[in-house]
Amino acid sequence: MKVFMAAALAAGLAVSAQPVLAQQVKVGALYPFSGGLALLGDESYRGLELAVEERNAAGGVGGKQLVIIKGDAVDPNQAVGEARRLTSVEKVPFIFGSYASSISLAATQVAELAGIPYFELGAISDPITERGFKNVYRTNPTAKDFANKMVDSIIDAIAPALKADAKSLKVAIIHEDSLYGQTVTGFQVARLKEKGLNLVETLPYSAKSVDLTPVILRLKSAGADVVLQTSYQNDTVLFFRQMKEQGLKLKAVMGAGGGYSLTDTMKAVGAENIEGALNVDFTQYKTNPAGAPGIDAFVKKYEAKYGIPPRSGHSLANYMGSRVIFDALATAKDFSSAGVREVMMKIDVPVGKTPTGWGVKLDAKGQNVQASPYIMQWQGGQLVTVFPPGAAVATMKVGVGSN
Amino acid sequence: MDVTVQLILNGIMLGAMYAIIAVGLTLIFGIVRVVNFAHGEFLMIGMYAVYLLTTRLGFHPYATAVPVVILLFALGALVQRFIIQPLLNADEHIQIFATVGLSTALINGALMAFGADLYAVEAPIARQTVPLGPLNILVGHMVIFVAALGLVAGLHLFMQKTALGRAIRATAQNRYAAQLMGVKVETIYVISFGLGAACVGLASALIMPLYPATPTIGTYFVLTAFVVVVLGGMRSMYGAFFGAMIIGIVDSLSGYYIAPDLKEVVYFAIFILILIFKPTGLFGFGRGTE
Repeated sequence: MKVFMAAALAAGLAVSAQPVLAQQVKVGALYPFSGGLALLGDESYRGLELAVEERNAAGGVGGKQLVIIKGDAVDPNQAVGEARRLTSVEKVPFIFGSYASSISLAATQVAELAGIPYFELGAISDPITERGFKNVYRTNPTAKDFANKMVDSIIDAIAPALKADAKSLKVAIIHEDSLYGQTVTGFQVARLKEKGLNLVETLPYSAKSVDLTPVILRLKSAGADVVLQTSYQNDTVLFFRQMKEQGLKLKAVMGAGGGYSLTDTMKAVGAENIEGALNVDFTQYKTNPAGAPGIDAFVKKYEAKYGIPPRSGHSLANYMGSRVIFDALATAKDFSSAGVREVMMKIDVPVGKTPTGWGVKLDAKGQNVQASPYIMQWQGGQLVTVFPPGAAVATMKVGVGSN
Repeated sequence: MDVTVQLILNGIMLGAMYAIIAVGLTLIFGIVRVVNFAHGEFLMIGMYAVYLLTTRLGFHPYATAVPVVILLFALGALVQRFIIQPLLNADEHIQIFATVGLSTALINGALMAFGADLYAVEAPIARQTVPLGPLNILVGHMVIFVAALGLVAGLHLFMQKTALGRAIRATAQNRYAAQLMGVKVETIYVISFGLGAACVGLASALIMPLYPATPTIGTYFVLTAFVVVVLGGMRSMYGAFFGAMIIGIVDSLSGYYIAPDLKEVVYFAIFILILIFKPTGLFGFGRGTE
């Protein structure tokens, strides 16, 4: 009798669950939720989560509610395992991710083999969309965009602010010598040559250096005016401290995100010492809403849900990307590889109409060609957007620190 | 010319920093005969302790040297007593695994407790530069240099003049003979490991004003410290001191004149050359002692 009851109950549940399932679409979310990358991995995921909730409140995609299935990818190995689980066990129709380039590079291979669309919202390594994959789409700018923006800003923003000819400025590049620093530097050097600017030094160093004095003295000897740095946090702190100690006076210094974007870096260096340092990164929150409509509403939603202000711009970039993609998916006839590709290629959002200010238009490789990082500056202990003028909330200053 | 002198000066200051860490490593290696791969993580723990004492209890970072040295002595003694001692007669590689494991556990423990963020202390005096003609010298560096000299001199006196120091030297020379002479070898080991860790405690109080603490900060310093120890002849405190000076100066000069990312290549090349011509290191005790 008991067995019969249980069976009947189970059958009843199965029957009643069936229509609900049909009303749902699974969304794979692959991010590092634990381990060393967890902080910004989780921050990235929050952007997706908010976009999903917003979409569900507005009726979902094609009348179906979105259900997030999380995958925890702490490193490339686990990314492969979790991507396999999402595609073959959970049978998600598509995956969103992934914050870290190493994780994205590994997970996208699994998705490509399985023919499942993979939406990259935050990893910047160029090769992610340069391997001829048909199911990988990326809404955020790449390392090359960062490098080009840094070089172009010497001409567009720094030289005008200094009232100098860009070609007369002595530019130096310093970078940590792992894949991150080398990739960005490679693009910078190419762009500097293309634009005919005067590159006087390129100095790689180990991110684990405990002394950057030799680097600083080399910059001093070369008479560098503008320094472009690609760095993590410790080496950024060390550079600013030792620059002050050695009395190096620069006209401008610009970081490629990384260590430059973090409030802790500013605290460790001291607000007065990092004053005036420029930084290229994803859109941050001190941005003019006129150039990034929806940024204020995002911050309000974020604070309402998590109880704190956003910890970095990663959540905003993921929110913006997933919103645009959900809009496209709502018009898809099915979620097959071909069906998704068709609608993704049709996306055309002009620049300045999304919460990050980025436009969206994908090229044949699936890369967004309308996304460009912004230029920010440390002013009074805050990282404020200073370029382009449409998104700026403050005027760019010249000089670095109290030197 | 000024640049060269400035670089040499910086190298000496950098060397003094490595010296304090390397002297501790040498004590542990020379006496207990254990390669302590968790040495850098002791430094990391010391730095977090300095941070907490400074921000929570209002100590000046330099004043934390006293409590942190005591804390690290206790930590070192406990590690010796409960982790190394049971493995003393085991294979060397088992001892290595024990300290490597300890190192991994401590890094991840710090990640759990403090996260990956960096923690810095306010110590404006330490980061002030004193102009010396055309040269710049950092107050914090001078303090480290004086402390390094004081540490080596102090340990020298301790080893030569006190009964405990003699017992430690006897144990280092021959564990069994020392035991036969009535030296409590196990106690000596606990004290020596504690002393080695205490050196790192001193280093953390001096380094913290210049470098922020992160869970992996130990790895920044300790690989170089290992090179210094081997260069100095593995068991010689004075060797470690001069080895540290050589590495510091080479590091500084090659970073400028060759390339900042090739300085490791240069000092490892010098390291290999010295070992080819003097396989027991600069101040080694001759063949067979290792």
